[in-house]
Amino acid sequence: MEQVVAAKLDPTFLDEVVSKFRTDKNPADLYNCLACGMCSAGCPFNGVHDNADPRKFIRQVVLGMREEVLSSVFIWACTMCGRCTMQCPMNVDVAGMVRTVRGNFGLRAPGFLQDVVDAQIRTGNQMEVTTEEYLETLEWMEEELQQEVGDPNAKIPVDKEGAQYLFMWDPREIKYYPQDVQSIAKIMWAAGADWTVSSRHWDATHYALFSGDDEASTIMVRRTMEEFERLKVKEVIITECGHAVRAQRWGRKVWLGADYPVRSFLQLMAEWIKEGRIKLDPTKNPERVTFHDPCNLVRKEGIVEEPRYCLKNAVMDFVEMWPNREYNYCCGGGGGLLAMGKEIYPYRMAKGKLKAEQIKATGAKIVVTPCHNCYDQLTDIIKYYKLDCKVRHVHHLVSNALILPGSKEREA
Amino acid sequence: MPSIIVNGVEIEQDEDGFIQNPELWNEEVAKALAKQEGIEELTEEHWKVVNYLRNYYLQFQIAPMIRKLCKETGFSLKKIYELFPSGPAKGACKVAGLPKPTGCV
Repeated sequence: MEQVVAAKLDPTFLDEVVSKFRTDKNPADLYNCLACGMCSAGCPFNGVHDNADPRKFIRQVVLGMREEVLSSVFIWACTMCGRCTMQCPMNVDVAGMVRTVRGNFGLRAPGFLQDVVDAQIRTGNQMEVTTEEYLETLEWMEEELQQEVGDPNAKIPVDKEGAQYLFMWDPREIKYYPQDVQSIAKIMWAAGADWTVSSRHWDATHYALFSGDDEASTIMVRRTMEEFERLKVKEVIITECGHAVRAQRWGRKVWLGADYPVRSFLQLMAEWIKEGRIKLDPTKNPERVTFHDPCNLVRKEGIVEEPRYCLKNAVMDFVEMWPNREYNYCCGGGGGLLAMGKEIYPYRMAKGKLKAEQIKATGAKIVVTPCHNCYDQLTDIIKYYKLDCKVRHVHHLVSNALILPGSKEREA
Repeated sequence: MPSIIVNGVEIEQDEDGFIQNPELWNEEVAKALAKQEGIEELTEEHWKVVNYLRNYYLQFQIAPMIRKLCKETGFSLKKIYELFPSGPAKGACKVAGLPKPTGCV
């Protein structure tokens, strides 16, 4: 048992955390903690590895143990997955408290998390892709798409004013996974969507959500709003990326007080399948598929059934892992942990054991997740725990199952 | 953390297997890294990709766009994946001795 030295306690600490806490709810809810421990019961990693006890963290904040909290491993090893927060009967946003402490007390995140935030602020996207390189990649994928579907009018429209949808990317789709650009554009084409992408600010990601830097967050989310207004679109659509959807939806309310329409691409795909606007042949995806729920997208943003609806229509054999939906376990890579380097890596792999067991129990050959962070963590877990499984996004399976407009099957 | 020993020199790797000090890279190191990626032998085609990435990195201290990689080597994206099953970022760049790219990779 650690000793608490009363003379060292700082009664102003909790007040300071509350005053700096950015939320769309009531910041004063952080005062509500009854020490019941439901948060620690809800945390999937409490007991899996050290430094995973949310109740201890909250009580330290409440008691004013400033130094202990600011130097704790917990605030970085926590993925802010929010399973503790969901369980709290008193509306204490534990995950939000972690973010507030990370970003408002002069701390520097482990690894290269801060570099990613800096790169995005400086260059407009976290991977420092130049406008020329970005446009070249879009043109390249447009040509590939035209060849694939045999239609010279299959386009990736850039800066089209008045389009219905403004689509925003994860920069790694542009820089390292251009086939994702083609896959997404193929679905847009098949649906006959009136869409566009920006040439200026097209990065939907938002590592300041992880570092807790509200100033950077405000700059990032304002860029989206400016593009929404400049291009006079009806709606912003975010690629399959959990934290980006969270930052762009929740963040626009918190940092800008704005409410322009923002949805995930998953919601659009589900809508199109339901309307019959895109038609799928599930026999194209015969392998067993399971779904990993990204915390930001599912637990926090409530986009629960849409990805499942897409998958049930796109694959032959869909099985749930258990627990699932808002009760699902974090993959262990969220909260910026993938950018925290060696120091945090052992925690990441320890957390991943739960997920590895969940995946294994399904017998699935493909685990689908609509999040790039989860995607990499799952890939790492599969390698580390030697699972016979691969990772895919929802759009990969949807675009693979598409019955192309104009084809015999489609007209039948 | 993992490391590889090539010709008596210990080469440190990060948690994802990227080498920590790009200056220690040489062809023997590339072969050892390739083995870890499940690539038993580096063919001429592998070397074409690896050398392009290496030279680009030495010039610009960053990985090239995949568009450039395909254009300059004449390989399709599909071919790159055949050569490096973990893909251009986590496979080819790693073998070419580039440090892990920062960002959501």
